[in-house]
Amino acid sequence: MRWLGPQQATTPLVQHILLALLASGALLYLLHRFLGPRGRRALIVVVTFLFGLFFGLEYFLPVRTKTLWPTGLPNTGGSAGNLLTPGIEPMSNILAVIGAFTVGLGVYSLVQVHGRNVLRRRPGWHNSLAFFISFLAMFGFGLWQYSLHLPEPLPPTLTPLQAFANNGYEFLFRGLYAPLQAATFSLLAFYIASAAYRAFRIRTTDAGLMMAAAFVVMLGQVPIGAWLTRGLPNEGVIALLRLENLGDWVMRWLNSPAQRGIALGVAIGALAMSLRVWLSLERGTFFAEQK
Amino acid sequence: MADLSANSARPEIGASAPGFWSRLQQIPRYYIYLLLAMVVIWQILFPIFLPITPSATTRGLEEAIRTVPEGKLVLISADWDSSTQAETGPQTAAVIEACLRHHKPFVLMTLAPPMGAKLAHNIASEIAKRYHARYGVDWANWGYKYGTSNVLMAMVKDVPKMVGSDFYGQPVKSLPIMKGVRTVKDIGLVVEVTGLAGMTEMWIGLIQGPQGVPFSAAYTAVMAPGYYPYLDSGQIEGMLVGAKGAAEMEVLIARPGRGMAIMSAQSWAHVLIMLFIIVGNLGYLLARGRERRG
Repeated sequence: MRWLGPQQATTPLVQHILLALLASGALLYLLHRFLGPRGRRALIVVVTFLFGLFFGLEYFLPVRTKTLWPTGLPNTGGSAGNLLTPGIEPMSNILAVIGAFTVGLGVYSLVQVHGRNVLRRRPGWHNSLAFFISFLAMFGFGLWQYSLHLPEPLPPTLTPLQAFANNGYEFLFRGLYAPLQAATFSLLAFYIASAAYRAFRIRTTDAGLMMAAAFVVMLGQVPIGAWLTRGLPNEGVIALLRLENLGDWVMRWLNSPAQRGIALGVAIGALAMSLRVWLSLERGTFFAEQK
Repeated sequence: MADLSANSARPEIGASAPGFWSRLQQIPRYYIYLLLAMVVIWQILFPIFLPITPSATTRGLEEAIRTVPEGKLVLISADWDSSTQAETGPQTAAVIEACLRHHKPFVLMTLAPPMGAKLAHNIASEIAKRYHARYGVDWANWGYKYGTSNVLMAMVKDVPKMVGSDFYGQPVKSLPIMKGVRTVKDIGLVVEVTGLAGMTEMWIGLIQGPQGVPFSAAYTAVMAPGYYPYLDSGQIEGMLVGAKGAAEMEVLIARPGRGMAIMSAQSWAHVLIMLFIIVGNLGYLLARGRERRG
């Protein structure tokens, strides 16, 4: 159990984890066994409502008078809180545990889908096999390397096994995973270049204005823009015509107000959406499709 | 934006009668890809360095780091992965360099995605070696912490308890850098480096606003426009915008790095894209003129 870390590798903690896992499993089994779709839906609706209510009340309830203005100014000093604030940490822990369960659920789902593909030799089964190999390799080396608790910086001499574990993990992470992900997203630059050339046509005045703003911002974002207008003075009204200043002006004076409006609209939309989720009014949620 | 989508569906002017002007609108995409790749490779191999003038947003971040009170930490929240590493990697490096240059102890933390903890750790380890900065004393990595907003809420009350163990699995309470760190108010500055939308709103809503902890950020160029309102309101003290922001920070701390190297390639790539747009529009306008004339 060394992989749990030096602090946590204590017997009571392991016992608690095992007990919690057993209790969770038993509870889930009982809920599945004795609750029908309607009962499960009702349970989820109630739990969702209670959790939402807790976080909402904790945020909006006034803090205790003694800690409200500890230094004479609002929101400074002290740790202001109300009667629900102490519950934030346990609630956060509960959410973290639920989140950890979803990781397990995700792995289970992936193994189920790809396992079926491999066993039945469905078209593209070799891709599923690649999933298993890469998943196991990364999982294995990741856990092994972590369990070694190698210090920072690395000691000059590692045992052959330690070196193998560390190098294997570094190769998979730094040598394969990171560059592959970066390369995939880098392709976007090529698509954007092609799309800009094909789609950006000045058919209307609006499109012309948009192109002018785009050119100013694009040039203002790179040193070549500043270089092109380097002859203009650094101070005074004419300095605004330097491309880096013009680009900044577009961002601060044209973009910023528009972004404020968008942010306000998004916030109101998010509030409405949150209310619908909290009150389980959203269509299709929580087994709504089940009869 | 409606114009753009309409444009893509509309047939090109003069496309029915292929001529020089219509062909200008129909350069095969493979040539575009090839030219862009050639320009980027050319500038990576033989960069043409142009002078970089730090913007007000970058100067704001540098000043925020420089003025962190003695004995307080800089918390760098590295919420990025390889997909945005071209920008967020140099940004993280530049912020770490600035902390070490100004002798400000810093800690790394990742709220999402988990990969950021390792990538930022590698960058910090390499830079720390140059400054002879010791892990646990001058810097530390709290690692990936699951729970985003719940983590921040827990930090308000008790930072060491929330963090628990660091990147290596050792208890953070045992690290000298954590001496005197109890609540989030013992952090002098939060610098959020991210390519993810929504993280800043969380930091501002739960930490910067209610707790009064100074906040700064580094964003990918594509998402930065959305955060200018926070800069105007003073909720964000300074901001790095894309690789340019990293390059500007490198200029401010007089330490040329990856950001400056990227800028020459990005400069010429921008020019090439603009040239393509101009050529396409030239073909479009001239072909339209010919069609109107007869």
